[in-house]
Amino acid sequence: MPDKKITIEYNDRVVRQFLLATVIWGLVGMLVGVLIAAQLNFWQLNFATPWLTWGRIRPLHTNAVIFAFVGNMMFAGVYYSTQRLVKARLASDFLSSLHFWGWQLIIVAAAITLPLGYTRGKEYAELIWPINIAVVLIWVVFAVNFFWTLARRREPALYVALWFYIATIVTVAMLYIVNHLSIPTGLLHSYPVFSGVQDALVQWWYGHNAVAFFLTTPILGIMYYFLPKAAERPVYSYRLSVVHFWSLVFVYIWAGPHHLLNTALPGWLQNLGMTFSLMLWAPSWGGMLNGLLTLRGAWHKLRTDPVLKFFAAAVTFYGMATFEGPLLSIKSVNALAHYTDWIIGHVHAGTLGWNGFMAAGMIYWLLPRLWNKPLYSTALANLHFWIGTVGILLYVAAMWTSGITQGLMLNATTEHGTVLAYPNFLDTLNTIRPMMLMRVIGGGLYLAGWVVLAYNFYRTVRGAQPVNGTIEVYEEAPAPAGSRLSLGATFFGAPTVFAVLAVGFATMWMLGSDLVSTAGLAGAVACLIACVALLPSRGGAWTGWYEKLLLNALPFTLLTFFAVVAGGLIQIIPTMIVQQAQNVEDRIQVPYTPLELAGRDLYVREGCYLCHSQMIRTLVPDILRYGDYSRLGESIYDHPFQWGSKRNGPDLARVGGKYPNIWHLRHLENPRAISPGSNMPTYPWLLANDLDVSVLPSKIKVQRMLGVPYGPLSAQQIFDQVDDQAKGIAKDLRAAGAYIAPEKEVVALIAYLQTLGKSVPVPPKTNPTP
Amino acid sequence: MFKRLILEDSSTLYVITAFVTAATVFVSITWRAVRMPRAQIEKFAQLPFAPDSTLPHHDPHA
Repeated sequence: MPDKKITIEYNDRVVRQFLLATVIWGLVGMLVGVLIAAQLNFWQLNFATPWLTWGRIRPLHTNAVIFAFVGNMMFAGVYYSTQRLVKARLASDFLSSLHFWGWQLIIVAAAITLPLGYTRGKEYAELIWPINIAVVLIWVVFAVNFFWTLARRREPALYVALWFYIATIVTVAMLYIVNHLSIPTGLLHSYPVFSGVQDALVQWWYGHNAVAFFLTTPILGIMYYFLPKAAERPVYSYRLSVVHFWSLVFVYIWAGPHHLLNTALPGWLQNLGMTFSLMLWAPSWGGMLNGLLTLRGAWHKLRTDPVLKFFAAAVTFYGMATFEGPLLSIKSVNALAHYTDWIIGHVHAGTLGWNGFMAAGMIYWLLPRLWNKPLYSTALANLHFWIGTVGILLYVAAMWTSGITQGLMLNATTEHGTVLAYPNFLDTLNTIRPMMLMRVIGGGLYLAGWVVLAYNFYRTVRGAQPVNGTIEVYEEAPAPAGSRLSLGATFFGAPTVFAVLAVGFATMWMLGSDLVSTAGLAGAVACLIACVALLPSRGGAWTGWYEKLLLNALPFTLLTFFAVVAGGLIQIIPTMIVQQAQNVEDRIQVPYTPLELAGRDLYVREGCYLCHSQMIRTLVPDILRYGDYSRLGESIYDHPFQWGSKRNGPDLARVGGKYPNIWHLRHLENPRAISPGSNMPTYPWLLANDLDVSVLPSKIKVQRMLGVPYGPLSAQQIFDQVDDQAKGIAKDLRAAGAYIAPEKEVVALIAYLQTLGKSVPVPPKTNPTP
Repeated sequence: MFKRLILEDSSTLYVITAFVTAATVFVSITWRAVRMPRAQIEKFAQLPFAPDSTLPHHDPHA
């Protein structure tokens, strides 16, 4: 009975749950953010306590705001809008609940393990392997629930917001799985399967696209749904939204290498990352303009409507951050900005302005609808907007000023570029202290705004009755005639075949030997001629194929997936091949001794990589300050790589042998005793804790599996080597006036620091005579 | 060619090819979007405004 109407009740309960979690985890994440910002000014706030130390709780901040705050906000927005766009209740109440509670459990597990020092040592990918598995499982639950709901939809057309959600789900799954591939050494520890430059590329392919597909595409979907709803007018240009989606999805995935400019990453990858980053200007600004122009004719409402205020400011910040991102990806600009606070300012313009304000706007819009009660106080919401805006502006202005100052001072030279103008790193730190304090104030104001939201939320829902939306629909949704697109037609339709052939031939042309390369070029040209020749007669059919694609979720999802996979594989596969011991030129890393490896794991545990890079760029000031530039082969056995992304302290790539052991001991015990004015935390527990050597045989076994050339070592041989080296360092320390037992953790860390920069030369390859 | 590509400085060719591929996608999609029929555009743009605001039901689980 297609004309029989039924009433569908949406599952808004899970939306309310995710919304509440957004508010709570937002508070936690921002509070930790303000604390770590303050720690950089006042080292005493580390409290000489391991689980409160900067290096351990900075990952807590980033994970909390990305996965807990924005994650929960995203799920709330996706579930609310998807049900309404497809006119169907979420497919499974059980999966919805499992998704919610599973995600919260993961967050709690992260909040416990990160301060305890359990980490993989890769930014935004710190969570240990059992939690990684839980994340993947819960993401699959989300995907099944979402796609199952799409399969039951009563609206055949897929609105553009759903496209963004689809791209998010498939791409995040791919990125997360690849970047978290690890081999466990125990229940709470693992080594990533990638190392050195491979690991760097995979990490920033993931890291960049975590921003793209976790913090951007789902929020764009939310923008395309909630902004028109709040403005009560359709999106300015649906055509532009189509271009926005496809170009963003296709281009974003290639831009990751811009995080590694001027490093040991092969030059062609750096150029690729820069080129595609610059191309991102077009789709990003297209999306921003589409959002802002949707408000045409409704601007007067901004005076009174806090929701529109938040949305308009959020979209503006999106435009600002996406203008700044490509700018920072230009190699010469990056030489100034990378490793400085400018990047922190850029990131927070995006997260506080775009993500945080979109979240606030969505929450204020949803509250009255999910609890059937007007917002407690519009005035408080407006107050939140202005406090938050002033907070962001202070924060971002402070970080821009600080970052540019850092860049200029650290890169400044005199004597015709042969001597550093500011050789002491601390000169820069002391110069930017006022800006760092302003950051704390800006962040504190933003947090205060969020507290106002939390209060408004509480007062609105207190005593209110939660309600679920309903809709009347025809019992059996009429499918448009001939709208089905089978998988066969998807993959063997002319547009797909031509696209695959073109990419295949182009790959042959670029990567093949002489004959294959020529064949590839010929094939690519033939493809182009065939397309042009067939267009007049087959163009209509191809258009029909595309129209059907917009109505068929599975083929759409698969093609989106292949679009993002292509961008990843083309970067990663050549890098895997280039970083093999036989391809390395000039220098190659010496594998760590067991004690050094243990020390390296402590370095990772304490999050040292978050303040100290191990990558001397191919830039004169870097070389003058830190030594010869880093070679690709010098980190070939580093699982995970430790190139870093920020220099709150100096680079350590060649710190080995630069100072005596006693210097490192005193520095770790009290940095200010060695470097007056330093903001580094103290690490007294490293001098008190015994090193756990029992795990080393398992760790070395895994390292060997990953290709690190350790010889056959029995457990006893490993323990003996540790003992010998540790006693040597302890003896040296004792000679310098410090008594430290050889079994203490600090001895291992010193052993690691003293080996940094040690490598052996690789003899030049001789070409065999033909 | 592959060895030369990854080990030597022939990045220009690679980057230009990638740029042309992406630009082709961009132009194709723009062409397709511009040619979308007005009725279809309006239908899509109106999707968020489906009449979903009937009287809400109280959530019995809350």
